[in-house]
Amino acid sequence: MSSDIRDSLRHHSTETALVTGNPTFAGVTADISAIAESKTPRAWYIAIAITGSLALMFFGLIVHLILTGLGVWGINIPVGWGFAIINFVFWVGIGHAGTLISAILFLLRQRWRTSINRFAEAMTLFAIMCAGIFPAIHVGRLWVIYWMFPLPNQMGVWPNFRSPLLWDVFAVGTYFTCSLLFWYVGLIPDLATFRDRAKTKIRRIVFGFLSLGWRGGNRHWRHYELAYLILAGISTPLVLSVHSVVSTDFSVSQLPGWHTTIFPPYFVVGAIFSGFAMVVTLAIILRKIFKLQNYITLFHLEKMNKIMLVTSLMVGYAYAIEFFIAWYSGNQYELFTFINRATGNYAWAYWIMVSCNVLIPQLFWSKKIRTSIPAMLIISLLINVGMWFERFVIVVTSLSRDFLPSSWGDYSPTIFDLGLLVGSFGLFLTLFLLFIRFFPVIAMSEVKTVIPDAEVHRER
Amino acid sequence: MMKKNNQDRQWRSFREFAESGNNAHVEPSEFSDESFLKEHFPGAIESAGDFVSRRSFLSLMSASLALAGLAGCRRPVEKIIPYVIPPEEVIPGVPQYYATTMPFGLQSFGLIVETHEGRPTKIEGNKDHPSTRGLADPFILASILELYDPDRSQKVMNNGSVSDWSDFDSYWKIIFDTHLADRGKGLAVIGSSFNSPTLHHLRRRFLDTFPEAHWIAYEPISDENILRGVEAATGEPQLPEYSFDRARIILSLDCDFLGSETGAIKNAANFARSRYPDIESNAMNRLYCVEGNHSITGAMADHRLALPPSKVEIFLLMLIDGLKRLDLSLPAKIPSADITIEFDRKFVEVLAADLFANKNHALICAGKTQPPTVHALVCLLNSLLNPENELVRYNRLPYALIPDTVAFNSLMTQIKAGHISTLIMLDTNLAYCAPADIDFAQAVAGVRNKIHFGTYYDETAALSNWHLPAAHYLESWGDAVSIDGVRSVAQPLIAPLYGGRSVVEIAAQLAAGQPENGYEIVRRTWRGIIEDSFEFNWRKVLHDGFYSESTPNVARPDFTPLGKYLAAEPFSSAPDIRHGLELTFIQSPSTYDGRYANLSWLQELPDPVTKITWDNPARIGAALARNLDLRDGDMIAVNNQGAVLELPIIVTPGIADGVIVIELGYGRTAVGRVGNGVGFNTFRLRRSQDPYFVNGVAVAKTGGRYKLVCTQEHHSMKGRPLIRQADLAYFRSHPEFASEMVEHPPLKSLWKEPELTGDYQWGMVIDLNSCIGCGACTIACQSENNIPVVGKEGVARGREMHWIRVDRYFSGSADSPDMLFMPVPCQHCENAPCEQVCPVQATVHDHEGLNAMVYNRCVGTRYCSNNCPYKVRRFNFFNYTKSMPETLKMLQNPDVTVRSRGVMEKCTYCIQRINRAKISAKIENRRVSDGEILTACQQACPTNAITFGDISDSASRVSKMKSDPRNYELLAELNNRPRTSYLARIKNPNPALVDNHDTIPLQRQDERKSS
Repeated sequence: MSSDIRDSLRHHSTETALVTGNPTFAGVTADISAIAESKTPRAWYIAIAITGSLALMFFGLIVHLILTGLGVWGINIPVGWGFAIINFVFWVGIGHAGTLISAILFLLRQRWRTSINRFAEAMTLFAIMCAGIFPAIHVGRLWVIYWMFPLPNQMGVWPNFRSPLLWDVFAVGTYFTCSLLFWYVGLIPDLATFRDRAKTKIRRIVFGFLSLGWRGGNRHWRHYELAYLILAGISTPLVLSVHSVVSTDFSVSQLPGWHTTIFPPYFVVGAIFSGFAMVVTLAIILRKIFKLQNYITLFHLEKMNKIMLVTSLMVGYAYAIEFFIAWYSGNQYELFTFINRATGNYAWAYWIMVSCNVLIPQLFWSKKIRTSIPAMLIISLLINVGMWFERFVIVVTSLSRDFLPSSWGDYSPTIFDLGLLVGSFGLFLTLFLLFIRFFPVIAMSEVKTVIPDAEVHRER
Repeated sequence: MMKKNNQDRQWRSFREFAESGNNAHVEPSEFSDESFLKEHFPGAIESAGDFVSRRSFLSLMSASLALAGLAGCRRPVEKIIPYVIPPEEVIPGVPQYYATTMPFGLQSFGLIVETHEGRPTKIEGNKDHPSTRGLADPFILASILELYDPDRSQKVMNNGSVSDWSDFDSYWKIIFDTHLADRGKGLAVIGSSFNSPTLHHLRRRFLDTFPEAHWIAYEPISDENILRGVEAATGEPQLPEYSFDRARIILSLDCDFLGSETGAIKNAANFARSRYPDIESNAMNRLYCVEGNHSITGAMADHRLALPPSKVEIFLLMLIDGLKRLDLSLPAKIPSADITIEFDRKFVEVLAADLFANKNHALICAGKTQPPTVHALVCLLNSLLNPENELVRYNRLPYALIPDTVAFNSLMTQIKAGHISTLIMLDTNLAYCAPADIDFAQAVAGVRNKIHFGTYYDETAALSNWHLPAAHYLESWGDAVSIDGVRSVAQPLIAPLYGGRSVVEIAAQLAAGQPENGYEIVRRTWRGIIEDSFEFNWRKVLHDGFYSESTPNVARPDFTPLGKYLAAEPFSSAPDIRHGLELTFIQSPSTYDGRYANLSWLQELPDPVTKITWDNPARIGAALARNLDLRDGDMIAVNNQGAVLELPIIVTPGIADGVIVIELGYGRTAVGRVGNGVGFNTFRLRRSQDPYFVNGVAVAKTGGRYKLVCTQEHHSMKGRPLIRQADLAYFRSHPEFASEMVEHPPLKSLWKEPELTGDYQWGMVIDLNSCIGCGACTIACQSENNIPVVGKEGVARGREMHWIRVDRYFSGSADSPDMLFMPVPCQHCENAPCEQVCPVQATVHDHEGLNAMVYNRCVGTRYCSNNCPYKVRRFNFFNYTKSMPETLKMLQNPDVTVRSRGVMEKCTYCIQRINRAKISAKIENRRVSDGEILTACQQACPTNAITFGDISDSASRVSKMKSDPRNYELLAELNNRPRTSYLARIKNPNPALVDNHDTIPLQRQDERKSS
């Protein structure tokens, strides 16, 4: 690190404390490890009983779906995609914040990210898992879905590399793999800490295995930091590419309302927007339950709220420019689609989207609201509602009213669609609960670099 | 698709059928034995069609070995022999074609039936038979489904318990002998009408045996009014037949001659022929339509006047007044219309002038719903407007049993009085379709012996002592005379599946007391018809499907009785205008009079006008809906002189104000699993005095709602250039108006297009000027391509599977709209948007320009459908064929894959037919000739609106059509380059009746309105 950066860091950390309460190195380890090592709280059992049931329901519904057919959903011709694709895009979007926080903010030397990157990354992984299930189960014949992969075969039949759905397979697959690696590499020093603190044999074996023989030696640290930096470098373009590619699922088609060039940046911004909202939601709950207020401070939350404010404005700009271009293009189908979005029979969804994504986040201009925990909890939840509806509006309104009025048709979800949406939250939260119970929710080794103790040593 | 090398096979067929006919009842084939079926397929009869129960699943599995034989057992041979020694000329996998005849009331249709290894799979019109000329309508095409319908009656029933034919034979012998003694006193047969030499002879024989017995025909929907009207004019009941191909001015008086009238197939073909908009000549016809309902004929009209059916007679009198003013001399005294009705008087003036100016080319036709007086007057006018009488032909019906309401009513009076002890109901479902005021069930309660013979164990069967299962016409020997006098034989294609007897056999049994063999009976009749070398000519008749020596029974009426008839002033009843609303009853385009209610194809065929499936809501015009504050799906209570029925409504623009159109044929309670409980039994509103329309009906909104299911929910084109239409005059000055209607930047592709290098380049043209929206293409496609039905719930979810649909749009004002039709199959885009987005290349282009769908490769992402701007792709949301009954499996076309759950499907341009033709061309070392391949839709289309062929051959018909100035491609601005193109629709309005702005193409008008 150059001395300039070091200066700026020092300056930064002295301006606003990234960690409050002045914990010591040992204190950080003790605080964070306690979450995973103390006796399992009753609340956790209750919580996982609920989310686990929902997750089981999720898988039960999938089994029913596979046994019966896609007809159990509300999809039809013309609306061939429904909740499954909406949920897919939604969850992929959620999965944006984690890697963005870990990789991009790491490269930008935003050291405040250390308190939140671990669970944000975990959230990313779980969101991508939820996301990945939907495109798989939404196909008519799940049992031949491996044809989507370019597997050499004796018939010489390959997937169609012109199809954005195939790009999706690669984009999401790569993103998940890199995010997993990045998260895991980041975990190694903390897993070693857990191993060293383990009191049961099982913990010793499991964490011993997972920590890959980490001893904290200087060479380890050097390789580790380099690997982390490289992975951050690899992950950074993926953050931008994954949702750009997801957006091509729509923008490559001919459908009015889908066929627009603004989609890639618009989707990426929307994803970051919804991802941060989800991080804030989880962070508020985490710090409250596990008393992590010293680690995840108001300062962190406010920063994220500011990002949400900015991305909200960008999303709002995208909404506006879509309308403008629809009019400016002189394409009657395009113009009709957008007028229909705002005034047609799905106008309610459109206005939920606009209110939650553009209007309500403007409250963050006020410092008071920006730093109010209840306010930001409500707003972040509403943003995710809004972002879900954004995908609903894109998928459903465009499909339900395309070129030939004769084939227009409406879409309404069935109980199975709703069940899978709710169930995916169950799965997500179950995985998250397991994560906080068994893994360090905050990157101890990284936090230690931003506590006052670290500063002192460095100064000396 | 009858080719030369098929001829021998057809010769061959006759012998096999003949032999089977000889022996069918002596030695029934092992598999048709019911005990065998019961033993081996216990669930097939009761539970097939529902989800397979474990028991039926197991039993089907255990019988799977026998299944292989089941398909073969339907070959009409008397001994089961292994295929080691195959029947001569039968090549497994190569279909054979046999000619037969479908009787339909007084009409009959000459057909060619495709069979695969003894299973009939597809019905087509017989190209050489004048009744169809190779074309078809939905009823004909779907009747093959009736053959295999597992709900058809399968057992002789005696007072509700299962019996058998021998019991009935001995029972009837007793009854027969009893009535021999009393000369048939108290013996009556009510049948459906027929036009058949054999049945005619048998009926005469029956009446000779029982001089005091009755044998009358009752039909809920018939041409009786026409026949009575012509009888009044000519002294004899004759059926008029119009030459629409030579008419220049046509006036239809409540006459849906393209849809529901007798001879509609022929009419449609002829009408389309004279409708061709030629830039050079003035040959295009002009159609004026006066009607209460908005029919598909009304949709084709250049000028349409919506008038309640009861006022058509006054309109006709006003027209006669108009013609009188033009110095048309009338031979008889016809009163002036003393009541005038409200409409634009200019219409009748201009119409009279147009008819008068086009003498010898003008034609008036009236619908069967109109009273005899109207028909008599129409006869008179036609004879005056066509002094040479070339456009109307009057056909005698020497072999027909004409439906007779008067005789029916008097017989019912006798029945009620207890004078009838034995009542035989032949192929008629009176308990369902008799007028409500007769109360048939009550009336026949006192009849001692009630015998019902019919296809289903229906409402009438349930109240009879005996029910006898009828064989399907494809299982029966029979004969028929088409309305233009061509005599044909109906030969069976398969031994009776369910042990039924044919109507001919039953009629013979009634007349002789003993069962007789149908084949022998028909041959006996035909010995009197075929004049010389009987065996040779008989075989030729079977091969050709008709007797070529037939001389049409054309009458040359002189209309002398008409003067006397008119002198009696039969008009008094007409101006009986009571207050209140008017009901008009129409036949169902799906179930006819209810007889096809169990045919799922027809139930799911969208109504051509309302696009409703699986229901028969009352249709009302926009004005009436406003007045009564009704929306689609609102329930109303209709009260016709005390008969009350609650049913939902659908607003149908263009229906005359104050008219409620009631569709018959729904609300069956005992027809089968498909048709039971579908829709509303509107026969309950019908009274015997006014069967077709009635005044003074009270209607009240009940406040209830009903779920109507429709395949098209948006009825306007939203100003989009979809169906392009112009007036003839505008077309003359701007021949290319259709392709010029859309301006777009140069169309460039993102990538290098693969070259299409095939020997043939397939393409299709659909002439929107000819399409009448009847839906025959949809059913033909369904039959050819094994397309499943999804039921009312499936359609409600938007999951109907039709590969070719007919889009229907309304344009103009809600009170006098234009109705426009556009059949939409897969457009086979050269630059297909569906292909580009499929991740697994399951939809790809072949080098002959076909957009092929590889079912095996499809994983079901549905992305192709999303990206299809025409939305012609269909997805298997469920396994629609999982619970298919065994018999329906026999119906499937073996050349077309039955699609599994989770795959996309769509129109293939009938690739199996293309390949069959290519294979035979290759064997004969030649190119496929133009017109050799007919797609199923093209083949059925009664107006020949669809043309398919090789567009790389500039001499092909399809290429010529594509060079027509009216040719345009739908959504061409998307650079999809569809291979299916459309010919714009041209209207030929009378310049005296249009304002100038109407000459602007339709599309522009819409735009102007919206801007």
